[in-house]
Amino acid sequence: MNPGESTGIPMNRTQSTAVAMNRGRLGRYSLWQFRDFWWERGIAILLIGGLWGYVVLEPLRLTMGPQWTAPNSPAAGMTLQLASAVVSLAVLIAVNGIVSTDRKQGYYRFLFAKPVNPIQYYAQLFFVYMAGVMIAMMVLGSLLRIILPSFNVLNFLIYTALIYVAMGGIGFFLSVATRFDWLTLAAVWLGARILRGVYGARGDWRSKLVELLPPVHKLDNVANSLIANRTAPGTDVLWLAGYGILFLALGLVLIRKGQIAD
Amino acid sequence: MSATDDANDYNAAAVVIEFKRVGKTYRSLLGNSVKAVEEFSLVVNTGEIFGIAGPNGAGKTTLIAMLLGYLRPTTGEVEIGGVPARQFVEHRGIGYLSELIAINPKWRARTSLVRYAILAGVPEAEIDARVDFVIELLGLAEHRDKKVKALSKGNLQRVGLAQALLRDEQILVLDEPTHGLDPVWTQRFRDIVTDLRRPDRTILIASHNLDELQRLADRVAIIDRGRLQRIVNTGYEQTSTTVAARFRITLASGDDVIRALVPGAEEAGRGEYDVIVNSIPELNALLADLIGRGALVASVVPERSALEQQFREAVGEVQ
Repeated sequence: MNPGESTGIPMNRTQSTAVAMNRGRLGRYSLWQFRDFWWERGIAILLIGGLWGYVVLEPLRLTMGPQWTAPNSPAAGMTLQLASAVVSLAVLIAVNGIVSTDRKQGYYRFLFAKPVNPIQYYAQLFFVYMAGVMIAMMVLGSLLRIILPSFNVLNFLIYTALIYVAMGGIGFFLSVATRFDWLTLAAVWLGARILRGVYGARGDWRSKLVELLPPVHKLDNVANSLIANRTAPGTDVLWLAGYGILFLALGLVLIRKGQIAD
Repeated sequence: MSATDDANDYNAAAVVIEFKRVGKTYRSLLGNSVKAVEEFSLVVNTGEIFGIAGPNGAGKTTLIAMLLGYLRPTTGEVEIGGVPARQFVEHRGIGYLSELIAINPKWRARTSLVRYAILAGVPEAEIDARVDFVIELLGLAEHRDKKVKALSKGNLQRVGLAQALLRDEQILVLDEPTHGLDPVWTQRFRDIVTDLRRPDRTILIASHNLDELQRLADRVAIIDRGRLQRIVNTGYEQTSTTVAARFRITLASGDDVIRALVPGAEEAGRGEYDVIVNSIPELNALLADLIGRGALVASVVPERSALEQQFREAVGEVQ
């Protein structure tokens, strides 16, 4: 087609063959979000988790021989600690840049010129990524079960869901609020552990103040009890989930009340 | 009333876009602040192709970011169709081409358009047809399966324009739309915009390219240092220049005639003469005189378009 020729764009409504004014189809777009998760995060989670597990557990399994699967074997405890750490890392990878990347790279410009509510878009993204993390952990848990039959994949997935909500909710908020979300999430997580360790038992105002920090100290207990026997103190679970849900909600409010652009 | 009459009847048309005393101040964490936009008021009506011109840093992109609801005004309000701009965008959508084309570099050209079509609410059954239509329209057929990161600047610009045209948008906002396009595609873009003109559609174009705005826009807002300096009607008949304008007249023959008629005409060689006139009627009178005395006029080109003249006046660069 040469310049100056008709472009074939309908000139008025009666000629229009173009598309009517519909709202964006976010539900349909979730399949693309899921695809993005796998290409950009899921494969990395599987590789890192798989390699980490192999490097740590395989030499141990070979060394321990029959003791590996024996009742009361120390392998179960070590595996549990490793699985818990892999979940935390997976969540960190999953929520890193979940909102801030769009802002830093400017992808929001075309996305949100469409008839799409950013709150719904990012809430959906959070849960699509959660599904992705659950599937990745199901794969890794199933692999682990091959070498350690006592490992309960279902319990592991329940723990994964809890940690995704708890840690991911805070990560989501930080991704809305800052540009360096992985760094701030790691700082918050580590800082909360340190501050609780220093001030938690003092019984003064500072110990009350650190109670407001993310309940990372509850993770070990919850991991031990939830993955091992699917029992965990209800208050710990509620505190972890509640904290994450609160920050997820705060992040969504911040998207609405703040600016989409930096 | 014809479609063209509708489009030009600004007073009768419904208000679509309204900036109401809008201001935007950027504040840094250290407390420094920069006023990007101040007391900006503007009404853009349905059916218009409206231009926004201004030097670098004038506030054009900030204004557009506020129009799309990406930035919140520090003062004032931006409304589209009588509702807050962001509310309109979330419910109706806008065809938007940003100055910086930011598409995930790992996506492929066609699949990125499919994604945007889904978000734009294009029904599933129409996605392929609509995406293929804009690919054809923008000449992207041979690049459809390339990753975005493999596209040249011009092709990326065309993908950006393609995603803005996926729907039958009532409002199109194009920020530096021909940035990176070669002359062929710049002309093609103008044809596309001309075809997009419709009585119930508003097209807003922000551009450095005054010639482009002169050709496409009905009115152009000139902004400088965040303030609206003036609104220019781009038609020659409506232009009233306050300073003399320079035209280059090219003669096929009759050099003696122009030298005699306009002693102050500057010779630029090869039959070209630069003359200064105070108005369009004065220019026409001069041309009539030249032709009447036997000169053969090959072309008459303003050294600066009417818009450029107004632009220079508005930003304080009158020469």
